[in-house]
Amino acid sequence: MTSTTESSNGLFGRIEPFIGILGPLVMIAMIALFMGIVEPARYFRVSNINQILLDAALYMPMAMAMTFVITQRGIDLSIGSIAALSAIIMAFLIKQYDVPAGIAVIICLLLGAAMGLLNGLVITVFRVPDLIGTLAMDLVYRGFALVLAKGLVLARFPDLITEIGRGQVFLFLPTPVVIGLLTLVAGYALLKFSHFGRYTIAIGSNPEASAMTGISVNRHRIYAYVLMGAMAALGGLMLTGKLNAVQATSAPYFNLHVIAAVVVGGTSLFGGRASILGSLAGVLLLSMMINALVTLRIEFFWQSVASGVVIILSVAIYTWMQKKDRDGSAGLGSLLANPDFRKIAVLTAGLMAALIVLVVLGLLLASPPV
Amino acid sequence: MTDTTPIIQMHGITKRFGGVTALRDVDLSAYAGEVLSIVGDNGAGKSTLIKVLTGVYQPTQGRITFEGQPLVMASHADAIQNGIDAVYQNLALADHLTPAENLFLGSELTTKVMGIPVLANARMKAEATRVLHDRLGVTLKSMDAATESLSGGQRQAVAIARAVRHDDLRVLVMDEPTAALGPQETARTLKLIQVLKEQGLAVIVISHALDDVFEISDRIHVMRRGECAGVVTTAETTSEEVLGLITGAHKAA
Repeated sequence: MTSTTESSNGLFGRIEPFIGILGPLVMIAMIALFMGIVEPARYFRVSNINQILLDAALYMPMAMAMTFVITQRGIDLSIGSIAALSAIIMAFLIKQYDVPAGIAVIICLLLGAAMGLLNGLVITVFRVPDLIGTLAMDLVYRGFALVLAKGLVLARFPDLITEIGRGQVFLFLPTPVVIGLLTLVAGYALLKFSHFGRYTIAIGSNPEASAMTGISVNRHRIYAYVLMGAMAALGGLMLTGKLNAVQATSAPYFNLHVIAAVVVGGTSLFGGRASILGSLAGVLLLSMMINALVTLRIEFFWQSVASGVVIILSVAIYTWMQKKDRDGSAGLGSLLANPDFRKIAVLTAGLMAALIVLVVLGLLLASPPV
Repeated sequence: MTDTTPIIQMHGITKRFGGVTALRDVDLSAYAGEVLSIVGDNGAGKSTLIKVLTGVYQPTQGRITFEGQPLVMASHADAIQNGIDAVYQNLALADHLTPAENLFLGSELTTKVMGIPVLANARMKAEATRVLHDRLGVTLKSMDAATESLSGGQRQAVAIARAVRHDDLRVLVMDEPTAALGPQETARTLKLIQVLKEQGLAVIVISHALDDVFEISDRIHVMRRGECAGVVTTAETTSEEVLGLITGAHKAA
């Protein structure tokens, strides 16, 4: 059969499926190159690379679970609060009720899963749109955390907790990195070889058709939120161990950071397209970027500006690529001839220029070295 | 060409939705190795008719027999179990999955690894390739590409393969199979329908395109205002007569 795909078999056509992973890799290379020129000594120190990995490891389990949620066309804006609340309860169990650390850790993960279940039920049974539902549940969980902990900072935990957060038992790799990578491997296996993974893509791709083939759409959506909740709790646990302290306002940036990492990695916000490997690349990219900002002594708050711009840029680029898919137009070549594309190109250039201006501003306004 | 007993038969089917009568006392029979076309104007009851036939709707009155035995279907899943399936106009494919993954969506093959069911992706791919090739004579350039990258005709082949994958499929209903296709793809799809017919399936095609209907069908079942306006043998009729039945200008003999 002749097919429209044949015409897109140029170089770009062959590369295209890998763009999800290539995009962040190119950006990682660019950051590495830039830092290699500007600050090679401090950026590429072993201790700094260790720092980047430690930071990235915190987000790996959550990015894995968020990949499933987003692939199903969902979103979870409550993971920061789930992380904080489950870590606070775990901290209280350990500090106040002398629960053994191992049991407290398991309870922490189960609590996260239960909060995820609640999110899933709110979205599927009460039919509250995921955006509003999880945003509201974020307030609920954060509120509970504040009620429980008041202004307390709970600190100094048993070795098991700090080992999970910043240990180094596995030769050169920190323990949290090993945990993070293991969750990603498990996520990859889940996506490729389990019914849940297959149905996650099907539901994101075509919910009506999935329901017609007899897939229980709501049940698998709930599964994704339960997984998300458990991984958010793991994130909270790792953060607690890393800092050896936890408070009600911990983990405020989890939501957008994790969503940014997943979206940058090529998982589509419009559903159906999942990339666990891309999520790993996205997590590494964001950690490298934030570390670069710190190394360049750009003020901490610019991180938030950078994360936001990265989300907008990557969603815009992937949306444009998907639109191209639907148009059925072939390679990049035919697109350059498309007048619509020029408008987008101008917009992209504008955004890039704005980003550069922001970075320059940040450099100029940066506080002097301490 | 046709057996004497129909595979599936509808007797005096009436379907009401509240006060609206969508189908009134409709009889229909389909034979193995035959293509039956259902034609009619918009709102003539074609869609309701096939939804009753495929178990999506339950008839208000009347009964359905399958090889002479009474058949009651509570759901579409019941219909599939009884060897009746449908290919819808929108094809109902998950575009981001591969053809094989679509073929087995909802009924994946698994192997047990340490007691845990694991998707047998390689086996499903081999089986899907076999079904597409042996049953439909279709070979896709790549079984690993997402279904969205396939042409309209190939996507339709995947949707049909999903139905014929069940060896006990006897009746295949196709809703507007050529509506979204170009001339070449239409020709291929019509050939595919021919292949299915030769394999002994009863193929029921709903279509607006009278040219296609005349090319493939053995008999034409005309619906008008929820009733059967007539059933004609394609070889013995003209498009004028069929058009007359559709519009009501011509009454069945």
